[in-house]
Amino acid sequence: MTSKVLERKLARDLWHLKWQVLAIALLIACGVSVAVMANSAHKALIDAQMRFYTDTRFADLFAEAKRVPRSRVSVLGQIEGVAEVDARLKATGLLHLSGQTRPATARLISLSEGPARTLNGIDLVQGRMAQAGPTNEVVALKTFIDAAGLRLGDRLSATLGGRTISLVIVGAALSPEFVYVPSPDSFLPDDAHQGVFWAHRSTVERAAGSSGIVNLFAFRVLPGTRVEPLLRAIDAQLEVYGAQPAYDRKDQASHAFLRAELKELSTSAVILPPIFLIVAMALVHLLITRLVEVEREQIGLLKAFGYSDRVAGWNYLRLAGAIGLVGVILGGLLGGWLGGAIVGLYREYFRFPQLAVQFDWTSFVLTAGFSLAAAVTGSLVAVGKAVRLSPAVAMQVPRPATFRAGLLDRVLPKAYLDQATRMILRTVQRFPGRAAMALSGLCASLALLVGVQFLFDSLERVVDATFYHTQRWSDSASFTEPRAFAAVASLRRVHGVVSAEPVRAVLARFRSAGHPETVRIIGLEPDAHLHRPLDEEGRPVRVGASGIVLSQTLAQRLDVRPGGLIWTEIMEGRGAKLALPIVGLASDYSGLNAYMARRDLNRLMGEGDVVSGAELLILADAKPAFYQSIANIPQIIGASSRDDTVMLWRNIMERSFKTSIGFYLAFAGAIAFGVTYNLGRISLSERGRDLATLQVLGFSQFECAYILMGELALLSLTAVPFGLIGGYGLAQGLAAAYSRDEVRLPPVIGPSSYGVAILVFLVAVLVAAFPVARRLWKLDLITVLKTRD
Amino acid sequence: MSVAIPSLAPELVFTVRGLSKVYQTGAGDVHALRDVDLDIVAGEMLVLLGPSGSGKSTLLNLLGGLDAASSGSACFRGLELVGASASALTRFRRESVGFVFQFYNLVPSLTARENVALITEISRNPMTPEEALDRVGLADRMDHFPSQLSGGQQQRVAVARAIAKRPTLLFCDEPTGSLDSESGILVLQAIDEVSREVGATTMIVSHNVGIAAMGDRVVRFRDGRVVDIALNPTRASAREMDW
Repeated sequence: MTSKVLERKLARDLWHLKWQVLAIALLIACGVSVAVMANSAHKALIDAQMRFYTDTRFADLFAEAKRVPRSRVSVLGQIEGVAEVDARLKATGLLHLSGQTRPATARLISLSEGPARTLNGIDLVQGRMAQAGPTNEVVALKTFIDAAGLRLGDRLSATLGGRTISLVIVGAALSPEFVYVPSPDSFLPDDAHQGVFWAHRSTVERAAGSSGIVNLFAFRVLPGTRVEPLLRAIDAQLEVYGAQPAYDRKDQASHAFLRAELKELSTSAVILPPIFLIVAMALVHLLITRLVEVEREQIGLLKAFGYSDRVAGWNYLRLAGAIGLVGVILGGLLGGWLGGAIVGLYREYFRFPQLAVQFDWTSFVLTAGFSLAAAVTGSLVAVGKAVRLSPAVAMQVPRPATFRAGLLDRVLPKAYLDQATRMILRTVQRFPGRAAMALSGLCASLALLVGVQFLFDSLERVVDATFYHTQRWSDSASFTEPRAFAAVASLRRVHGVVSAEPVRAVLARFRSAGHPETVRIIGLEPDAHLHRPLDEEGRPVRVGASGIVLSQTLAQRLDVRPGGLIWTEIMEGRGAKLALPIVGLASDYSGLNAYMARRDLNRLMGEGDVVSGAELLILADAKPAFYQSIANIPQIIGASSRDDTVMLWRNIMERSFKTSIGFYLAFAGAIAFGVTYNLGRISLSERGRDLATLQVLGFSQFECAYILMGELALLSLTAVPFGLIGGYGLAQGLAAAYSRDEVRLPPVIGPSSYGVAILVFLVAVLVAAFPVARRLWKLDLITVLKTRD
Repeated sequence: MSVAIPSLAPELVFTVRGLSKVYQTGAGDVHALRDVDLDIVAGEMLVLLGPSGSGKSTLLNLLGGLDAASSGSACFRGLELVGASASALTRFRRESVGFVFQFYNLVPSLTARENVALITEISRNPMTPEEALDRVGLADRMDHFPSQLSGGQQQRVAVARAIAKRPTLLFCDEPTGSLDSESGILVLQAIDEVSREVGATTMIVSHNVGIAAMGDRVVRFRDGRVVDIALNPTRASAREMDW
C-alpha cells in the first residue's frame, strides 16, 4: 500500500513532532489509565471477594434475635426458599485494652461444630482454632489484633452480657462478614476498637450466661427465590424472639461498603476517560490539519509523481493512529501501575486472604480501541483534505490566508486596540472552531481540577455539620438494654462529665407507596443541646411536636413531605404500627435518620421513662478516667468519641483521598498542558514567519511572545469562569454518584479549592507555553525571510 | 568673527572593514562573505548585484543586524554591530532600518493600513499609515487584507511599512524577485521615490542587472567578495530602466 520511503517519512514526522505527539498521547494515556486502573482494581476486589465468599460460604441473608431456643432453628430451615440455615450465639460487650483510652467493642461469636462446612466460615491465617475449655480460647479478627497491637497468647478481659470474662487469643482469622469493619457511629473503619472473636459454643454460652439458645442467623437461599417475601417469612418466625428485621446481603455492613466502593470505581471508569479522549481527538484534529497545510506542496508532489490520493491520506491516518498507539501503550503501563497502587491502598481497608493485583485486559482492549478510534476520527477531516487536494493547486504559490474584519473590529473602537492585539483577536475570529475546541479543552481541564476536589470540601462539610453542629456531644455510651432515666443521671455524676442527655434509639420500618426503609428512630429531649437536627439553613428542627422529623435523604427516598403521614412499624418491643405525622425535615449528611421526642417514642413502645444510651460532654482531661469507669459498668455495650471519629475521617482523607485527588489533579493538569502546548506549537507554525518578520522589523522577542501567546492567554482566561462553573456542575454530578446510604455528599467547593484549581491550571498552561515561547528566541530570521509562506 | 561653514563632505552612515561571515556546516566551513570593506554615504542608493551565493544578501543581513559577522567591523554612526547584543540589534532595527523582502512578509490577519500601523506604533517619529500608503499609491486599498491584494500591491504595502518610520536605512532584498515586470517597476518606482523623500540610505539586493541603473553605486559580488564598485553618474528612474 505504501512505500518504504513513506514509512521513513512517517517515522521522521513522528520524531519531528515528538513533543506534540507526546502531549496528545499523554491525554490518551490518562484516559486509558483511569479506565484500566479502575477496572483492574475493580476486578481485583471482585475476584478476591468472590473467592473469599465462596471459600467461606458467605450467607445470602442475615438475622439477629435476642434469645432463640436451638430447637427452633430447624423450623427456620423449613421456610420455603431457604437452602441452609446457620445459627450461632453472639455475646457483645466492651473490652478494655491497655494503651487505649476508649474501650473497644467486643463481639464473641460461637464457631460451628461438627465437620459440616457452615455458612460465614472464617479463614484462619495465624495460630489455631479455639478449643472448648475453661481457658476461654478465642480466634480474633486479624484486622483487630493488628490494629490493637495484640499477639497470639495475649489474655484479654471483656465485659460481655454483664459478666467479666477472660479470653485468650490462640488464632487470627479473616471473615467475609468483616472484610471491612465499620464503626457503629460512622461508616469508617475503626479496627482498633472493633474486637471480633470466635470461640467454641461452650465458651460463648459461658460468657452469655445461657445455654441452648442462639441469636445470630445466616441463610443460604435456593436459586430463583424472591428475597423480600423470604425476609418477611423469617421475620415472622423470629418476631417473638425479639428479632431485628432480617436483611439481605446487600445490607450487610461489610458487603454494602465494599459494593459502594466498587460502584465508585465503576463511576470513575465511566465518567473520566471520555473527557480525555474527546480532548485528545480535538488536538489530533488540530495537529493533523496543520500538518496537511504545511505539507501541502509535498502532498502535491507525491501525487504529481504518481502516488494515489489514498496513499496521501493513508499517511496522515497512520500518523494519527500512531499517536493513539503511543497513548494506548503509555496508558496501559500507567493504568497497570496505578491499579497496583490502588489495590495496595485497598489492602489497608479490605481484609481478604488474597487481594492480588490484576490487569484488566478487557478494559484495556476496549479503551485502546476507543482511543485509536478517537485519534483516527480526529484526523479524518484533515485526511479528507489531503485526499482531495489536487496536485496542480497544491504546488501553486498559496494566497495569503484570508482574513476579514470581524465582529470585534466593529464592536471595539479602533483606538483601543494595538495591531498585535488585533492580530490575536482576528486569529480567534478566523478559526472559531479551533478556538472553541481549545476553549472546551481548557474548560474541561479546569472543571476537572475544580470538580475532583469537591470530595475534600464535601467531607469537611459533612464532618463539620455532623460532628460539630448536629451532634455536639464529645462522647456517647449505649446500654445493653433500655434502662431507666436514672442511668443517665448517674453518668452525669461521673467526674469530668459536664452534661449528659438521654437518647432512646428504636429500629423502625417506614413504608410509603410500598417502598420500605428500615431506620433507627432517635428519641431526643425536646430541649436537647447536645444533639439537634438542623434544617437546610442550619436552624434547629424541634422534635417535640408529637410527630416525626425525617432526614431529607430519607424523605426523598420515601417520597414524603412535612405535613404528610408516614406509615411506621416499630421493630422492637410490642411492634406498634401507626401513621406518624411528619413535622419537619433535617438536613443530615450522615445516614438515614428519623427523630422523635423521647417521651413520644417511650409511649409508642409502651414503656416507661427509659433510655438506650446517653450523649455526653466530657472534659478532655477527664476522658481516660471516665472510660476506665464505664468499662466496669456491665450494662454499657458501646462507647464512642467524637474526637476519635473525626480523627478517623481526617486519616482517611489524608491517606486515601489525597492520593487519588493528587492523581486526578495531575491528569486534569495534563489536559491543560496538552491543549496549550499543541495550540502554542500550531500557532508558532502558522505565525513563525510573521513573528520572524516582526523581529526583523524591530519587535523584541517579548513583544512577539505576546502576539504568539496572546491567543492562548485569551482562551485560558476565558476558560476560567466557564471552567469554574463546569467544575461546580461536575462536583454536583460526582456528589450524586458518590453519595451512599451512609453519607450524603453536598456539592461543596471551598474558595481554596477554586484557588488550587486555578493555580494548577495556570501553572500547567505556563509550563506548556514556556517551551513554545522559548522557540521565539531561536527563530532563524534569515531563513524565514527567504522562504515563501 | 568666524562663520560656520557647513561641511560639504558626505556623511558616512556605515563603515565596513574586513567583514567576513563563515558558516560552519557538516560538510565544512562555507565562506559566505570574505573580508569586505565598504563605506556607505548618507542618502545614497546602492545596488548589490551578483549570482546566488555571492555574498550580497549576507552583507545585507549583517548590516541589517539580522546575523552576526564572524570577524571584521560594521559601524553604523558609532554603533558597532559586530558583537552587539541582541537587544541592541533589535533597537537598531526598530529605530533605524526599514526592510523590504522578496516575499512581502505581510501579516495576513491585518489590513494594509494595520500592517503599516504595526510599525508606526513602535516608532519614534513616524508618518501616519495613511500617508505612507498614499506615497506608494495605495490610498484606495488601505482597508484591504493581503489576501485581497495583488503581489505588486502587497509589495508596495511592504515598502510603505518600511518607510513609514522614516528610516535612516532602507534594505530591500530581491524586492521584485516574485513579481512580473510591470508590478516590479511600480515597486521599484515606489522604493526610489519614497527613499528620496525620506532621505533614506538604500541598499537593493538583486539578481537583475537591469536594476543597476537606479543606484548611485553598483556593488558587484562574486564568491563572497566585492569584485567591483561602479559609480553611476546619474541615477535612472525606475520607469526608464531596461527590465
